Amino acid sequence: MPNTTKPIPSPSLAMVNIKKQEWCEPYDLCTALKEGTIFPCLNLTFYKAPPGDSNVKKTSDSDEKLQLNRESFLSKLTEVSFALNDLTLYLDTHPTCENGLTLFHTLMKERLELLASFAGEFYPLTQSSMITGECDPETYGWGEGPAPWEGACI
Amino acid sequence: MFAYEKRLQFPIKIRKTDPNTAKLIISQYGGPDGELSASMRYLAQRYAMPVKKVGGLLTDIGVEELNHMEMICSMVYQLTRDVSEEEAKTAGFDAYYIDHTKGLYPQAAAGLPFTAIEFQSKGDPITDLYENLAAEQKARTVYDNLLRVITDPDVVAPLKFLRAREIVHFQRFGEALEMTKESFEHPNYYFMNPAFDKKAEA
Repeated sequence: MPNTTKPIPSPSLAMVNIKKQEWCEPYDLCTALKEGTIFPCLNLTFYKAPPGDSNVKKTSDSDEKLQLNRESFLSKLTEVSFALNDLTLYLDTHPTCENGLTLFHTLMKERLELLASFAGEFYPLTQSSMITGECDPETYGWGEGPAPWEGACI
Repeated sequence: MFAYEKRLQFPIKIRKTDPNTAKLIISQYGGPDGELSASMRYLAQRYAMPVKKVGGLLTDIGVEELNHMEMICSMVYQLTRDVSEEEAKTAGFDAYYIDHTKGLYPQAAAGLPFTAIEFQSKGDPITDLYENLAAEQKARTVYDNLLRVITDPDVVAPLKFLRAREIVHFQRFGEALEMTKESFEHPNYYFMNPAFDKKAEA
């Protein structure tokens, strides 16, 4: 079979063509989490759920300072990690985008720092962050801190 | 391999018990267009994808769907964890309660258990990517339908987030389709299946 490298005409019959996304200036990380994407150009909303009305940060039921600290800490980690999730999919199909790669490196560094400090301050969220400190059986395992589905620590 | 991170992709904190809403939302756990179905579909299709980067995208989206499954389960759990004996009998939750008490079980809103019959892995990259484009739209429709009937802001916020993800995934699968098309050597996309007819003669 001859290796024909000639460009395939597009659009063509009997085939869907989807426009490739161009880089658009991302939302701030808190808005991105509320909206479900870091890219304003991909935020195609439904009339029953207009943009900007989601209350992501809930008031805490507990007045305990530890709980409030922990929630604001975890909120930050959630925002940074979600931006990375969305950016990862973008980079899967735009692997050479410099804007995307730069943001990825910045956010990933921040995420790893947040994961390590959260484990140090509160409890480990990953297997690898169970060994950041001393070899302490008290801090090993999933027993410390609420389960994610409890809603106690957002 | 997969590793667990002990947090949700999007925070779930529902204050009001509402077994009826749980019965609707559970469809996105084990229903025909649910998150479990989505994850299993993408993770199954990866192996036969001829373009490596498309296999990578399927991995990343397949894993994200597991995050979404965990969010849906958390919502069902929080909506039902304080259900009383009386509510179990009267609030439209009785049939589920009899089989599962307050345990999580993957089923559709109408009670059909999770089944792989709902999705496909066809071993043809064009066909599989079309399957995925359709899957994201079907899930988006389910979230639209849920957003029309649910008003509790604690439940609406995560549903709105999940709906937005369906549209982002649709765009990425579209881009994956374009990448797959670019890899074809023959201008007729249907001349052969690159996942099977690797040595086909022109």
